[in-house]
Amino acid sequence: MIIAEQKPLAEIKAMLNGRHKVLVVGCGTCVTVCLAGGEKEVGILASSLRMATQLDGNHIGFDEITVQRQCEWEYIDPLADRLANYDTVLSLACGIGVQTLVQRFPNVWVLPGLNTTFLGLPIEQGVWEERCQACGQCILDRTGGICPIARCSKQLLNGPCGGSQKGRCEVNPDTPCAWQLIYDRMSALGLLDKLMEVQPPKDWSTSRDGGPRRIIREDLRLPKDYQSA
Amino acid sequence: MRSLLDEIGLGSERVRMFNLSAAMGARLAEIATEMTEKVKTLGPNPLGARTREQAAK
Repeated sequence: MIIAEQKPLAEIKAMLNGRHKVLVVGCGTCVTVCLAGGEKEVGILASSLRMATQLDGNHIGFDEITVQRQCEWEYIDPLADRLANYDTVLSLACGIGVQTLVQRFPNVWVLPGLNTTFLGLPIEQGVWEERCQACGQCILDRTGGICPIARCSKQLLNGPCGGSQKGRCEVNPDTPCAWQLIYDRMSALGLLDKLMEVQPPKDWSTSRDGGPRRIIREDLRLPKDYQSA
Repeated sequence: MRSLLDEIGLGSERVRMFNLSAAMGARLAEIATEMTEKVKTLGPNPLGARTREQAAK
């Protein structure tokens, strides 16, 4: 899922300077699960902002709502009538949710309350780790299901660098060396011979190097008359 | 919670959490006295003062 974390309160307050009526909009999907922008976090942030802005002498009204998913038209369309009452929307969704609101409601000033951080998972209560960089060309079949693109600091394709020390990464000792993990797993599965195959340089055109990406599934598209967005 | 109170501007020292058993009445009384003194030193909740100022206008 998408992992995000809330921006510092001071940064959010600075963004809201000069605004008067703010709707804090949470998202019930990824950012709820990673405890950054769900209904509970919307409530805590709105309350904090009410107190903090009042202490600063700013008179800003804050209301709250959380939609099931900010990144799909059908879930944000019901907000349309309500948005007329606000001069600002503070979105607690990921960057996708913020931009979905912006695209659907071009006359509304939308601000991000979160920093969208990575694609990953909670490995334990309160700890999240990156697992995927959405590079567009998955190679997990060749690396024992452990991604060196997302988990090796140098994104190496043919084994560890010299900075791999006792299974840890030289860039950050808290990070396990992805290639150590790959080697250990392949070894345990008796598949070390698979690592002898030399991987060619990666084609990054499917990643960000190819510019913003788009998937079109002609088999799923609606006839032109039915398309709404 | 305490770091959030600092960010808001209310001050983290207004809240503390203690784990006590039901048999630690004396310690509870000590803590209550310490906290009362602490809150007296800190003065009234600044948000309350701000609210009263605005109401008076």
